[in-house]
Amino acid sequence: MSTTPDLSVEFAGIPLRNPVLTASGTFGYGVELEPFLDLRRLGGFVAKSLTLEPRHGNPPPRIAETPAGMLNAISLENVGVEAFIEEKLPAVPDGVPVIASVFGTEIELYAEVCKRLTGVPKVAGLEINASCPHVKAGGIEFGQSPDALGRLVRACRQATTLPLVVKLSPNVTSIAEMARVCEGEGASGIAAINTVQALEVDVETRRPMLSNGLGGLSGPAIRPVALRMVWQCAQAVSIPICGVGGISTGEDAVAFLLCGATAIQVGTASYLNPAAAGEVADGIAAYCERHGVASVRELIGALEHS
Amino acid sequence: MSDAVTPAAPQRCVLRVRSNEPERGCIRLVLEAPDSWPAAAPGQFVMIHLSGTGVARHDPLLPRPMAAFRLTGEGSTEPDGTRCLEVLYKVVGRGTALLAECQPGDSLALVGPLGVPFPMPQPGEEAVLVGGGTGIASLFELARTLRDAGAPLRVLLGARSQDDLMALADFEALGVPLELATDDGSAGHHGLVTAPLEPWLGAGSPLRIYACGPTPMMVAVAELAEKAGHPCHLSLENRMACGFGICLGCAVRSRGDALHLVCRDGPVFDAKELDLGALP
Repeated sequence: MSTTPDLSVEFAGIPLRNPVLTASGTFGYGVELEPFLDLRRLGGFVAKSLTLEPRHGNPPPRIAETPAGMLNAISLENVGVEAFIEEKLPAVPDGVPVIASVFGTEIELYAEVCKRLTGVPKVAGLEINASCPHVKAGGIEFGQSPDALGRLVRACRQATTLPLVVKLSPNVTSIAEMARVCEGEGASGIAAINTVQALEVDVETRRPMLSNGLGGLSGPAIRPVALRMVWQCAQAVSIPICGVGGISTGEDAVAFLLCGATAIQVGTASYLNPAAAGEVADGIAAYCERHGVASVRELIGALEHS
Repeated sequence: MSDAVTPAAPQRCVLRVRSNEPERGCIRLVLEAPDSWPAAAPGQFVMIHLSGTGVARHDPLLPRPMAAFRLTGEGSTEPDGTRCLEVLYKVVGRGTALLAECQPGDSLALVGPLGVPFPMPQPGEEAVLVGGGTGIASLFELARTLRDAGAPLRVLLGARSQDDLMALADFEALGVPLELATDDGSAGHHGLVTAPLEPWLGAGSPLRIYACGPTPMMVAVAELAEKAGHPCHLSLENRMACGFGICLGCAVRSRGDALHLVCRDGPVFDAKELDLGALP
């Protein structure tokens, strides 16, 4: 006798109808995916990272395919926070929680964007993209320095009353340490991981495949790395974690839940299948039915290991 | 004929391979299209992914953008009247090499139709379609649409040699004025398509130029058209991960130094909008 499993979770204080969010930068501002996917099938979505002013990003080529993955160096092209609020948000259907991703080259710029988004209807929470070069600190990513990350999270925490999620860079020695810093500064949750810094080379031209040289690796190739890091974060902090990295099926998502994630984000998979996030939600439900799991919450942190 | 066709909303669909056979200059992939599959407007494209059968395929990870060559079945091309989408391609890398291995009965995941189609000529204008190499595939639906509407047009196709002139029989069957150019002189003019094009441009009658092909060809055509004062539309190719405006991977530079997405703002662009020196 099977009943429909309860897929609802609460992540960082945001009630979600299922654990499936979409990763920033892989879902536009939501409306681009509407021809393919009813957004109400998702727990919510994380919009493309917003800066105070619009940004144009890097010259092409900006992407390259790699084994079971892809590199990108878009450099956070976006419409800017005002255009997002005025032009993009109104098109999002009611009842779909939007997590706005926030980005800046200085701490003050992050805080300004957080402030501007606070109290805006449909914005249920903020995700701090900590994988940005810190201009004043010589270009190291905020997420690579415990000190810079701590100051960034503190400033954003003071700037908003919204749930505050910090998306961590995997390009660190100890991601657990970074998670603890975020928890200590009052973050409501962690998202892990951002893209893995990588390089691909065209041997015919002896040049990097991307105009920027280095890029961020995403897709199934990074999923085991992301799983490992989510598991390490879950051991280190008690705030909830959103697992990100190479998820394209319900089973992929369940693996992250077992490793301690409360919610997950579908990223690169949406490029090759714009309905992927909805299919992941269906896949989680099917897994629960197959295994007699009444609530998806039973799976969180249920990894069996000695 | 002055308005662009309003494109249908794109869909994601798994289509069955009817055939996938090499022919002159290309491989012709014929996919059985359900009635719900929207007809592409001239110039639109589809994203083709090698995982259609439910087994997740992670390598190659990304779909490939390809011109929607034509939709048959409303006519009588297939003996049993099955509605089919045809795509013409060449093996250029791993993705197309694996696509070439697909057998009848296999399934492929498609997203489309995508992109901004070719605008139609204004009344009084003659359309000149210039295709080179695999770019020829992007022009067939435009030629067919114009012919069916009784609009004046001329087609100029170029390739390395006679054996590389893809879709030649399809264009010949349309019965429209057709000129050829080959690098080795094995068919039509010996040399580039610009040689036969140039005298047409200066003849004094209003033309609208449509070009798709290798970047140097498109740049040369666009420069000739601009010099002669004729509007010119280029259909671009670029690497892209999604095809519908979210990966931002396919940006090209405009003359105003802004960036356009080939998938969303194109693939068809007014040549005057583009920084021709910075095309991929």
